[in-house]
Parts: sequence; structure tokens; C-alpha cells
Amino acid sequence: MDNDIVLKAENLHKSYGKVKVLKGVSLEIRRGETKVIMGPSGAGKSTLLRCLNLLTKPDKGRVWLENVELTNPKVNINKVRAKIGFVFQEFNLFHHLTALENVMIGLTKVKKLPKKEALRKARETLLTVHITEDLWDKYPAQLSGGQKQRVAIARALAMDPVVMLYDEPTSALDPQLVGEVLQVIKELARKGVTSLIVTHEVDFALEIADEIMFMNDGKIVEKGPPGEVIFNPKHEVTRKFFEKISKPYGVGKYGVLERISPSII
Amino acid sequence: MNAEVLWYLPYIVEGICWTFALVFGGLALGFIIGLPIAIGQVYGNKVVKAFLNVYVWFFRGVPLIVLLFLFFWGVFPAMGMKLSALTTSIIVLGLRSGAYQSQIFRGAIESVGEGQVVAAKSIGMSGFQTIVHIVLPQALRIAIPGWTNEYAILLKDSAICFTLGVMEVLTRTRYVAVSTGTYLLPYVFAGILYIILTYAGTKLFNIVYEKYRIPGLIGGEGKYG
Repeated sequence: MDNDIVLKAENLHKSYGKVKVLKGVSLEIRRGETKVIMGPSGAGKSTLLRCLNLLTKPDKGRVWLENVELTNPKVNINKVRAKIGFVFQEFNLFHHLTALENVMIGLTKVKKLPKKEALRKARETLLTVHITEDLWDKYPAQLSGGQKQRVAIARALAMDPVVMLYDEPTSALDPQLVGEVLQVIKELARKGVTSLIVTHEVDFALEIADEIMFMNDGKIVEKGPPGEVIFNPKHEVTRKFFEKISKPYGVGKYGVLERISPSII
Repeated sequence: MNAEVLWYLPYIVEGICWTFALVFGGLALGFIIGLPIAIGQVYGNKVVKAFLNVYVWFFRGVPLIVLLFLFFWGVFPAMGMKLSALTTSIIVLGLRSGAYQSQIFRGAIESVGEGQVVAAKSIGMSGFQTIVHIVLPQALRIAIPGWTNEYAILLKDSAICFTLGVMEVLTRTRYVAVSTGTYLLPYVFAGILYIILTYAGTKLFNIVYEKYRIPGLIGGEGKYG
């Protein structure tokens, strides 16, 4: 396998009962790349992401992280998962632990770092996602949605993952909190953190993605540079999707996008 | 009323020691049995689950008094074991409470969201680590109110152990009533004792619950959630 490719999936299939959610998806990500997956609800985006660290077991197909095949039953999946950062739509912070403890627990229990070192690393990572010291001892319920999601990013990031997977990281947030989370993800991507992001934020995707993959009905319909996929798609289904999400009220050709960043259009 | 009965009230109060031995022995043994059963019922395979279901079904299905007689005169002698009435009673209360407590813990474990488990796995925790570090710390906190209820029930169930002659509150109350020929006062007194013990115990567990309660885990900011 090409040394630069850190995550690779080949021909993934997944069904729930009679419903085929993934119908043969393949992808690869190189070190330092940022790729964005977009597509309508039910396209299989979340299932695909979960298949990549085997939180969901694919029915068919194979997944590699660096040179380890995750789908090989002999592989210790826990060890591999520790190297894949996963950020959930619903944050899923551990309710009984403070922000700092949420970040530390993976370091002490999974990575077996000494407490002192784990503490240092956790603090450092929380600062990276702009969670300041006054929030470290708060429990998840005492944090805002944006703060929770940034702590969740820190929890994944502190493990020094090979790749970060984000599953609609801003979909559960109030609109005014979306920006702070996207900002953090952008900063990390710029620092060279390899990222695979499922999102509906078009502007964000345009700005940071090296490649956009458009998914529909369990397949990657098309992929390419963001400007191309969004503004000059090859497929009708892609064009319709971006038209709908960029002008939900039918204003102008690209709606809000046109007014905020006319230069792009 | 025979005034002599008042002299014997402290004798009834001393029975609290035996009652407590029954209740806390039963609760502790029930915890040791109930928690693993709950874990097995949630995470075990079909065979484990079926086996545990039979245990729970048996100890919840048979009346306490029948269990006491069965073990004291049946099971333990048949096994060649000579256990005192007190020991037998604690074991039976514990075996039975274990069945009930398992259902308290099972409910608590199941109420810890799937998202917590998935998140634990995503950072590389094994199934065992996930249970120990993520699920149980939350589930045990959630279980405290149910557990408090189990204390209140077990306290009053312990009175049935008078049938084996354990020197707990009710046994002593009966002795006093029969020997003085006065019935009303001793039984009212015993009733009040049980009410006080129930109240004090539940109050104590509520303090523990408050102490370990985490904002948002259950009941949000509410007092007893």
C-alpha cells in the first residue's frame, strides 16, 4: 500500500435487514489530507464513517489503517480504534467525568500514560480546541453544545490519532455555536491533522476540503475538488442536492452563499 | 395494660442489632450477587442469560417464608451444613435480594446510553474497560434510588425471619407480648421502630445519592432527580 495513504476502504457493503445502506464504497485518504463527505440524509454517510473504525461491522469489504487491516478478525480492533479519532454528532461525552477527565481517561486507561503526563497532555489538547482552564472541571451538562463538541474533539485528538473522523459534528448545535466548532476543525486540518468530515456546511467544505465526495443511495456518486463538485457537478442528483441546500428558500441562484461570498461564485 | 411491659421495651430495641445484621448482610450479599447477574443479563450470551433468568425467576417467584424453611430445614441440611438461623436468614435474604437487585442494576445499566458505550469503544477501550470505567460509574449512581427502595423493603422483610427464631425486633416483640399478655403496645412500638429505621436509612442513602450525584447524569439540576 502507498505509504502516504493512511486510511483506505475497499468495496464496503452494509445492510440493515433488507435495507442496503452501503452498496460498495471505496475511498482513501493520504496523510495530511482533508476530505469531506456530503449527501442527503439516508445516503449512508454515517454508516460509512462507522464502518471505517468498525463501530459498525461492514457485511463485505475491507478497511486498512496504515498497514493494518481492521477487517481482519485477528487484529486487535481496540488498539486500532485508539488511533482513529471519532467525533460524534451528539458529542457522547462521558456524563460522569469532567471536561478534563473526559480527555484524560483514554490516555490513562487505553494508552496507559502516567497520570502526570496524561494531565499535561489533556490540558494542552483542551487549550488547542480553545477550552480554557475555567471549563476544565465542568461536567458535560454544564457546558454549551459548542464547548461539548470541542471537548469531544480534544478527547479524540489527545490520543494522537492517525486520522480524525467527524460525523456531522455541527448538526446538533444551535446555529450561533456552529462557527466555533468549525473553526477548531479548520485549525486542526491546517496543522496537518488528517481529517474525514461528514458535514452539510457548504461554505466550510469549500474552504477546507481537498476533495469532496458526494454520496447518494449508498454509493459515492462523484468526487473531486470542492469547487467542481459543488458548482459544476457531473451528475443531476449532485446538482439538485447543492441547489437545494444552498438556497433553501429559493432566493437567487446560490441563495445565501451568493450574498456572503459572491467571489466564490 | 400491664405496666411491666415498659421494662421490656429496651429488650425489643436491642433487636435492632439483629435486624441490621439481616438487612445489611442481605443487602451486601445481594449486591455481590445482583451486580454480576445484571452485567451478565445485559452483556452475556444466550446461555448465560437463560441461566440467570432462571435464578431471578426462582428467587422472585417463591415467597420468602418458603425460601427460609426450604434452606433451613431442606437445602442446607441436605448439603450436610449446619448453619445457624441467623446465618441461614442472611444467606436467604441475600440470595433473594440479589435477584431483585439484579433488576435494579440491569435497568440502570440499560439506561446508560448506547452513545456512551460507542464513544468508549471509539477511543480504544475494551468491552471490560468500557463496563468498569464508563458504564458502571454511571449505572451505580443511577441505581441508588432503586437501591434505597430495596433497603426499605428488605428491612421489613427481615421481620419474617422471626419464623426461624432469629432474635431480631419482631421475635423479641412477640416474646414480650406473649409473656406479659399485653399485645397492643409492643406491636405499636415495633411498628414505630421499623418506621424510624426506614426513614433514617432512606435519608442516609439520599445523602449518599446527593453526594455522588453528577449534574445532568440523571434528573439534571433537580434535588432528588
